Amino acid sequence: MDRRRFLTLSAVAMVGLTALPALKPAFGASKLEEEVQKRLGVALSQVKESPEVKLTAPTIAESGANVPITVESDIPIDKVEQLWIFVDKNPSPWITDVKLTPMNGRVFFSTRIKMGETSNVRAILKLKDGSFVMATKEVKVTAGGCG
Amino acid sequence: MAVGTGILRVPKEAKKGEIIRVQMVITHPMNPARKDPQTGQTVPAYHLTKLDLLFNDKLVSTINMGAGVSANPFIAIAMKVEESGVVKIAYEDNKGGKWEKTAEIKVS
Repeated sequence: MDRRRFLTLSAVAMVGLTALPALKPAFGASKLEEEVQKRLGVALSQVKESPEVKLTAPTIAESGANVPITVESDIPIDKVEQLWIFVDKNPSPWITDVKLTPMNGRVFFSTRIKMGETSNVRAILKLKDGSFVMATKEVKVTAGGCG
Repeated sequence: MAVGTGILRVPKEAKKGEIIRVQMVITHPMNPARKDPQTGQTVPAYHLTKLDLLFNDKLVSTINMGAGVSANPFIAIAMKVEESGVVKIAYEDNKGGKWEKTAEIKVS
């Protein structure tokens, strides 16, 4: 091996070695996707966004420690089974899940959640026929509320 | 207020078949497990895990939660009432604490 080929090879190897760990997260599933898979039993890509689910949250939250959110839906209650709330970029994306029964009358749930940084909030409803519908809203957080 | 104290609020009176709003506030720190940045020690998690909403001892909803819910959680949920009765919430945390709270509602 001459000097020129040795130099190019080592340069390629160096670039490869340094770039590999940085690229890794792009190939592995994100925390949110893992969590959704674990809790719902389906992949996030199979959950469809639907205008039938209404998610109310502030566009800008002053404090991430207290973000009021409300989930409402006009889907009849006897067709709905469960509700989940996820925050994409929180250290643990799963916030809460609510099992609903016909005694609830309608889909309405409101609470306050913590957010570490600006990210999407997702409300996912599981319907009796096994399908999932979702509403997403981005909330800008000026001061994080985790830890 | 001591940890676990709850306030449960429902309308005093409602019409038959009306969908009411059940509101509750529970005093709880809702701490996630984390490392203290100053001392480096691990602070264990301390948060509510489960809350059951019952009406006349029939299960209406089960709410599972983690430390992602704000401290002193506020929760509002809809419920349909067909008869007078007692609304009860039963909640527990990850350190074995269990509490209950009831409220009455008159339905005409």
